[in-house]
Parts: sequence; C-alpha cells; structure tokens
Amino acid sequence: MQQSVALPASAAASVSGMPFESRANGGEYFRIWIVNLLLTVITLGIYSAWAKVRSLRYFYGTTSLDGTAFEYHGTGMQILKGRLIAFGVLAIYSLLTQFAPLLALIFIPIFFFGLPWVIVKARTFQMRVSSWRNVRFNFHGTYGGAMAAYIGWYLVAAITAGILTPLWIHKRTQYIVDNTSFGAERFRLAATLGRFFAFCYIAAGIGLAVVIVIAVAIPALMVAGSAGGASADPTAALLSAGPMLIVIGLLTFLALFAIVAYYERSFTNAVFDGLELGDHRVRCNLKFGRLFFIYLTNVLGMAVTLGLFYPWARVRMLRYQVESMGFEPSGSLDKLVADNQAASSAIGEEFGEAFDVNFGL
Amino acid sequence: VTPVQGRFFDGKTTAAHAATLSIGADGFVRIEGDGWERSVRLDEVEISDRIASVPRRVRFADGAVFETHENDPIDEALLGLGRHTFHHDVARWERHWPIALASLVLIVVASWAFVRYGIPAIATVAARVLPPAVDRAIGAEGLEILDRTFFEPSKLPAARRAALTARFRAMTAPLEDGHDYRLEFRSAGEDGANAFALPSGIVVLTDELVALAEKDDEIIAVLAHEIGHVRGRHGLRMILQSAGVSVLALAVLGDLGSASALAAMIPALIHAQHSRAFETEADEFAKQWLREHDIDPRSFDAMLCRLAEGESGGDGDGDDDRFDFLSSHPPTSQRAQCATPPVAE
Repeated sequence: MQQSVALPASAAASVSGMPFESRANGGEYFRIWIVNLLLTVITLGIYSAWAKVRSLRYFYGTTSLDGTAFEYHGTGMQILKGRLIAFGVLAIYSLLTQFAPLLALIFIPIFFFGLPWVIVKARTFQMRVSSWRNVRFNFHGTYGGAMAAYIGWYLVAAITAGILTPLWIHKRTQYIVDNTSFGAERFRLAATLGRFFAFCYIAAGIGLAVVIVIAVAIPALMVAGSAGGASADPTAALLSAGPMLIVIGLLTFLALFAIVAYYERSFTNAVFDGLELGDHRVRCNLKFGRLFFIYLTNVLGMAVTLGLFYPWARVRMLRYQVESMGFEPSGSLDKLVADNQAASSAIGEEFGEAFDVNFGL
Repeated sequence: VTPVQGRFFDGKTTAAHAATLSIGADGFVRIEGDGWERSVRLDEVEISDRIASVPRRVRFADGAVFETHENDPIDEALLGLGRHTFHHDVARWERHWPIALASLVLIVVASWAFVRYGIPAIATVAARVLPPAVDRAIGAEGLEILDRTFFEPSKLPAARRAALTARFRAMTAPLEDGHDYRLEFRSAGEDGANAFALPSGIVVLTDELVALAEKDDEIIAVLAHEIGHVRGRHGLRMILQSAGVSVLALAVLGDLGSASALAAMIPALIHAQHSRAFETEADEFAKQWLREHDIDPRSFDAMLCRLAEGESGGDGDGDDDRFDFLSSHPPTSQRAQCATPPVAE
C-alpha cells in the first residue's frame, strides 16, 4: 500500500507527499468579513447566511491540492432556510422554558432522538456541497449508525465513569470518516483504538495534574502567607499570597491551552495522518509547539483588539492546518471517478447545517 | 470579449482539460478545448460570484465546470451584458480597505443605535400586543423561591401593615390597567432596606425600608416607583429585550466563537443599560404620580439618598460612578438631588 509516487516536496512542508496549500490572507479575509458583517447587521442577521457562504467559499477557494482549489457550493438561501427552521425550534423551546417549564421537558427525548438525525443531515450537507475538480464529496452514514456511534457508545463511556471515553471518540470518528467518500472512493480511518486511548489519557492526565497542583498550591500558599504575616485572618493570608496566586492563575491558563493544543494536534493527526482514500493516503503532521503558539497568540490578539484580530486568527490557524497536510497519491490523481449521486431533497440537510455541528475533523 | 484561459472538468472524473472560454456580446458562452467546442446561451450557465481572487466557476447544465483565475474579464463581460448582481458590488467593497474600515465604523454605530433605540421600541410594541396574563406567568413562583431562600416573615405590627396596605390599595385601585396589584411585607435582615416589584403585580416592601423612612410619604414614593415598574411592564419588556439582544449577538458575534470572552460580556453590559432605562422610567412615573397627588416629589429623593447612604457606608451618594456602565441602576446623583435639605414641614 505504501507505494507513494515520488513528488517534489515543498520546502516549507514537513510532511510527505503532495502538499495541501493555502493562499488565504488575513487582510483579504478581514475585508470580506467586515463588509459581510455590516450587511448582516443592517439586515438584522438575515444576510448572515450569505456571509457564511462567502467566508466558506473564500477558505475552500484558497485551499488547493495539486494546483486545484476546493470548492464550496452551498447557497445563502439553503443556509437561511435551515437557520429559520432551527431558530423556530429554539424559540419554541425558550418560550416553553420561560412559561411552561414542564412542557419544555418534551424536548429531552426530541433532543435525544433528534441529535443523530441532525448529525447525519449536517454531515451530508457539508460533504455534498464540497468538491474538488468538480467531483463532490458525499456522506453515506445512516441514522442507526449515528445513534450507535454518538448515543450508544456515549452511554458505554458514561456507565464506565468516563474510562471508555476514548472508545466513544474513536467510534464516532470512525463513523464520520468511514462513511465519507470522495466521488466513488470511500475514506477509511487508519488510526487504531490504542492511539485514541493514548492521547486521550495523556490529555486527561495532564489536566488532572494541573488540578492537583492547584489544589495543593493554593492552600499551601495561604498557610505560608498567614504564618509569615502572623495573622490567622484568611483574607489577609489570601492578600499576602496575591502575587503568587496571579502566577498560578497564569500558569493554569497556559496549562489549559497546552492541553487543548495537545488534544487538537493529536486528534487531527490521528484522523488525517494515514487516512486512506482508496489506495491514496493523506498525511498530517501538526506540531504541538507551533499549534500552542498559534492558539495563545490568537487569543491574546483577539483580547487586545476587542475581537478585530479574528480574521487573522482564523487565517493563521487554517493555514497552519492546511500546510501540515499532504497527499500521497497511488498513481494519477486524474482518474478518480464521480459517484452518481441523486440530488436528494435538502431540507433536513440545511436544518442540520444550521446547528453548525462541528465534527472536529 | 477577450477569451479567458482555464480548465474544464466534466464532472465524471477528476481529469482536467485545458480550455478557453469567451462570453460574446450576443449573449452566448463559447468554450473551446483540444479538438472540441461548445456554445450555449448565457442563461444556461451558472457563473459563481466573485470572491477575492478565488477561481471563478462557470457551470454548465450537464454539471460540467469551467474554472478560471481570470476574474476581471468575466466581470467585464457580465457587466457589458447588463448582468449586474448585488454580489458584484459586495466583491468590489471587499477589495477596498477604506470601505472595509468604513464598514467597521458603521457596524459599531448601527449596533449601538439598534440596541439603544430599536430593541426597546420593538419590545414596547410587543409588550402592548401581549395580554397582562403574560406578566402574571413570568416568575409566578418568584416570591415563593425568595421566601424559601432569603426572606423572613415581616415583624411589623399588623396595624402598621394594614395602614400601608390601605394606602397601597388607594394608589392602585384607580389605575385599572389589568394588573393584580398586591402589597407584601417581608423582613430581610440588616442592610435589607429594599423594595421591588414582580411582573405579576406583587410589590414587596421590607421592614428595614419601612424603618428607614422618616415619613410615610417616602414609603409612598417608593411604592409609586415600584408600581411604575409593574405598570410599565418592565419585567416582560426586559425579557423581550434580552431575547432581542441575544438574537443580535448571535447574528453579529456568532462566528467569533467562544474564544472571545469579551463578546460574552456585551449582552450583560447591554442588559445593565436597559435595566437603567427602566429605573429612570419608573422614577419619572413616581415623581409624576407624587406631583399629581400633592405629595412633595422631594420625599422620593430623600428616600433614595438615604438608601444610597446605607449602601455606601454613609459617605454620601454617587461613589459608584466609576462603574456606571456595569450598574443596573443609574447613579443616585443622577436620580435624586441629595444636597437638598430635608423637606421642611
């Protein structure tokens, strides 16, 4: 299987195979974002559906493989329809919780049985409006499959007090990936269950360590503070420990970002590195340090600029993710064949899209 | 029009074929590849909107696509044929920095104006449409919850309570606005001088406030303020306005994601602003009512000033001005003239 064709590797990419490339640019995206945001505000939110389409078309269109950009085909009207239905459901729900809390309870089974349906519809929509070289992606997952992967395996994780959570994450990732196709060719998740257990447990372990350090350090500092100040007053002790508490706060903040960056890196690499598409393979080599740095500087940038840094933050993240990926084709990329997909009714799909279900892929 | 170079994808495989496309003044689209050519009417193809320098897509009825990086000639051809669309303008605005920066300013101004004037106006109209029964449904259990968690039964003498209740009835009876007004007494412990109204029409007065008042007129002034809240349907309007702000925030900030904690603070700030507008409205109602019933409106000021003193540990009013924008009530210095000497009588 591992018969990758020799290709000129990009100097920047540390990943084998043909590189995925991004031409997205922060300044360019800022202008798109802000103009569309203005249109959204003056149309009281209605235009946001079209704004979303323009953003996605920009990001798809600036991402390319083998010299051809990806394309997003969703339309503003499709997104708007889904959003209106979703908005109606949420409005009914919030009115019920306000005026008839008991009636709102019927939303629990609706949510329970509706979630898998929404997941299938959202993923199907997202895939069918994505293409490369005029061949579309598709999703073949069934309602039953989503029910098992998202609810069934979740219950397994829950009754084992979270010990089997990595199994649940693996099952649902496998459900999403293995049911996705490009043209007539299916994707297949290569990462093993063991790999999911490894990174999930490491992330949880670091998190637990942070909690323990805080739980020990703060009382210890307070004791030290009250001993030094010869005062038993807890407020005074807290005040004298103040500078140290700020340091602990900052370190906790950094540790949380590190955990998020570690998990994101590990999960994304697990999904995409080795991902099979027929005989072809995707490669992904995100580095923890770089991802951590981007996360941190993005949040700082957003905080300092009151959110105006958002377009640059989004572009930086996307560029790094795209440029960490490569494609190892087995033979020519010209011979992938389209699937004869029926143009199905899309109402449900748009509805799913409205919830912005994020598969973390 | 100058032919543009690009690639043709038939939609059956990923194979790319070099091709040239031109849009004629006759309204026909001609595409030419190596040894083949097609010519169709412009109405039969779908040309994607321009976005930055993202490749342009010309989609044929059979699903085949021609893709080109040459955006300008396509725009020229379409404009030449009078095919001007809104997104043509959007794409032009997106290319210019001055327009982008002007958009930023307009977003701030438009959002502010809408939150300040638009949402309250819409909420007022909506509240007028909804029957008073809706007010009764809001927080119907509010007082029971407070009784369980916070309040003690009132220790005021029954005669005192009866006297105040009689005055309250006399105040509310002529209003005839569909609300079931009712006065309740509770004890809230030290520093508990307070009065508030529930949307259902229940006004709660604490023993401590009654004790703080030097004259009954001051209590009447506070009651008038609370009646102002009920009569103005501030509870319902607040819910409607918060919902409006949430919808707006979702639309505008939705794609900022949860990363921006600042964005999450904005609805809270707006909530405080709206709450202060309601306080001002209730103040105005109270003063107007006092004037109409020949009670010195300064008794309202006197009561507010004394309440403010109690809160700030006796160093006068207005010391909370620094956190003006976070407070749910306007600063006392704006609501009452505390410098005024006690009402002479």
